Amino acid sequence: MTDSALRIRGLRKAFAKVVAVDGVDLEVARGEVFGLLGPNGAGKTTTFEIIEGLTLADAGDIEILGLTWARQGREIRSRIGVQLQSTSLFNKITPREALDLYGSYYPKRRDTQELLELVQLVDKADAYHITLSGGQQQRLALALALVNDPELVFLDEPTTGLDPQARRSLWDVVRRMKGEGRTVVLTTHYMDEAEALCDRLAIMDHGQVIATGTPASLISDLAIPSVVELTFDGDAPDPTAFAAKLGQAVERRTDLWEIPTPDPKALLNHLLEAAESAAVPFLQVHIRRATLEDVFLHRTGRSLRE
Amino acid sequence: MMLWRQFAMEWRLYSRDRAAMFWTMAFPVILLLFFGTILGGGDGLKLSVVRVQSQAPGPRDAALDQALADLQLKVQALPKAEAEARWSRGETVALLEPEGEGYRLRLNSYLMAQAGATAGLVNQAWLVAQARLSGAPEPLRIPAQVESPGRKRATNYASFLLPGLLGLNLVSMGLFSVGMVNVSYREKGKFRRLAVTPLPKWIFLLGQVLHRLTVTVIQAGILLLVGRLVFGIQNQGSFLNLLLIMTLGTGCFMAFGFALSGFAETSEGYAALSNLVFLPLMMLSGIYFTLDAAPTWLQHAVAVMPLAPFVRVLRAVFNDGAGLAGHGLGLAIVAAWGFAAFILAVRRFRWA
Ligand SMILES: Nc1ncnc2c1ncn2[C@@H]1O[C@H](COP(=O)(O)OP(=O)(O)OP(=O)(O)O)[C@@H](O)[C@H]1O
Ligand SMILES: [Mg+2]
Repeated sequence: MTDSALRIRGLRKAFAKVVAVDGVDLEVARGEVFGLLGPNGAGKTTTFEIIEGLTLADAGDIEILGLTWARQGREIRSRIGVQLQSTSLFNKITPREALDLYGSYYPKRRDTQELLELVQLVDKADAYHITLSGGQQQRLALALALVNDPELVFLDEPTTGLDPQARRSLWDVVRRMKGEGRTVVLTTHYMDEAEALCDRLAIMDHGQVIATGTPASLISDLAIPSVVELTFDGDAPDPTAFAAKLGQAVERRTDLWEIPTPDPKALLNHLLEAAESAAVPFLQVHIRRATLEDVFLHRTGRSLRE
Repeated sequence: MMLWRQFAMEWRLYSRDRAAMFWTMAFPVILLLFFGTILGGGDGLKLSVVRVQSQAPGPRDAALDQALADLQLKVQALPKAEAEARWSRGETVALLEPEGEGYRLRLNSYLMAQAGATAGLVNQAWLVAQARLSGAPEPLRIPAQVESPGRKRATNYASFLLPGLLGLNLVSMGLFSVGMVNVSYREKGKFRRLAVTPLPKWIFLLGQVLHRLTVTVIQAGILLLVGRLVFGIQNQGSFLNLLLIMTLGTGCFMAFGFALSGFAETSEGYAALSNLVFLPLMMLSGIYFTLDAAPTWLQHAVAVMPLAPFVRVLRAVFNDGAGLAGHGLGLAIVAAWGFAAFILAVRRFRWA
């Protein structure tokens, strides 16, 4: 028995045209909520599916709850919960039946009614799966991931497609699981979610983990605690000339310029003067703390939801 | 227990798809009723001839009419113009016209099977009529008797068709209900959700197979019942043999479906592939008609395909009460196909 819920070494998977996972090492402690972030196509789902035993890796070692696929596949399946990025069920099965049926596959199971309440599907408990909305189907998929009272849960984009309220209630579910000592590994494209839920994060790009740490440490490692933003009416102009004049990097987003700085107070006077003399037609100035989004942009050069 | 649950769930989900269930059960019955009725469920085909009325009917005409009636040929007498019009519309099989001292028979080239038989009878009647007119002894006829190949007794087309439909059901169940469903489950990722649970895959598959098996048993039961009530067709053989053959066939054609589903990535691809297999099997396996008239190489080819021998054995047992002993080769061919398909299925089958 180790105190790691999950330990991965040198994981690699190549498809015909891309290397989807390119040497991934990860370690998740028991009781931890761990987030995997990365732009589309980074290899998050592929990594999950290899861990879940759906895809065969080309190379690498995986230890799940101290067990390995080669020898203890059945036990791993019994003790983990899985929400796939998209879950397809039989069209005419109802949530209640699905929970009863999938629950019956496991040695240990949670009560169906309790799960229906947990994901707020009591009203729809007897409706056919095809008649459920996308968000309701997503919530049923979450309930199915919990049906065996798992010690370790994998949630692949659990909040994509959920309304804000359902998203918050998923956060509650995750926090409650953590409170019960379970381990949760999830992916998300929402930085606020990652910051609010996860004890630790890994950022993935092009099949590789490019940074790991707590949300706070990732932000502070960036060494640019603040960002000054100049917003424009419509598209932001080309900042190259202005940046040279300012002696500071300026990044253009759709309708604003971002100027990362360790010292916003000192920058601000200088910036406003320069903007005045160059007649930059900006509308407003904002100063904000750096967020995970900035970490992400900085690390991958891409916006998360791109 | 797990297996039972899986089986029960298959049935529950299946029974919710009312339309699919109805058509699965009703389609073979409709085929039987339709073809059984129009192709002569009862007394075989009634042959008929259209006769152009003579300007001045003489004893010759009367004698021929009498002889035709004795041979149970349906005669429809029409004035010349009307008979000609009917012929042009293509509704006449054989047209009998007076000509000189005798007659002339025009046969419809589109309906040669019936026309040929009719011509035979008309000629026979003419010989009889001539003998009667001249007072000579009537020509003797060779007695003929209708019976099935197994010499059981007179059977009708519906009883030929019924075992064929039973066989066809198994094929379409294997190819469409098993193969198609599995391709679409795989394509839509339904298998993946199952694959992350500890449910052993064989339980899922066996549950599915048992469900399809019970569906075919019910389907066959309905077809047998309708055959009996409507056409008076009864199983002449032992029900145990029938069950054994049907089980072998179900196994063979289900394995076929599983094997084939391993060769298609998408439902569309599978639809094309399965029809490529299904259509020739259906047309060439002697379900609706025998292939006596086909080229020999084709008959040989068909004889080693799985459906034709299967239906042949089924007919022998069902229509003629044969035992299984004389049909070892046919059963072996079906079993060999089933075994080969099973091996292929195991090798090609994928969950994702
Ligand atoms: N079955 C497959 N065959 C071929 N290529 C694949 C397959 N599955 C994934 N890929 C490729 O592998 C790469 C990683 O895909 P993956 O689904 O793991 O990304 P992801 O990080 O989950 O992205 P997203 O945020 O969009 O869900 C992509 O380039 C994708 O095109
Ligand atoms: Mg993904």
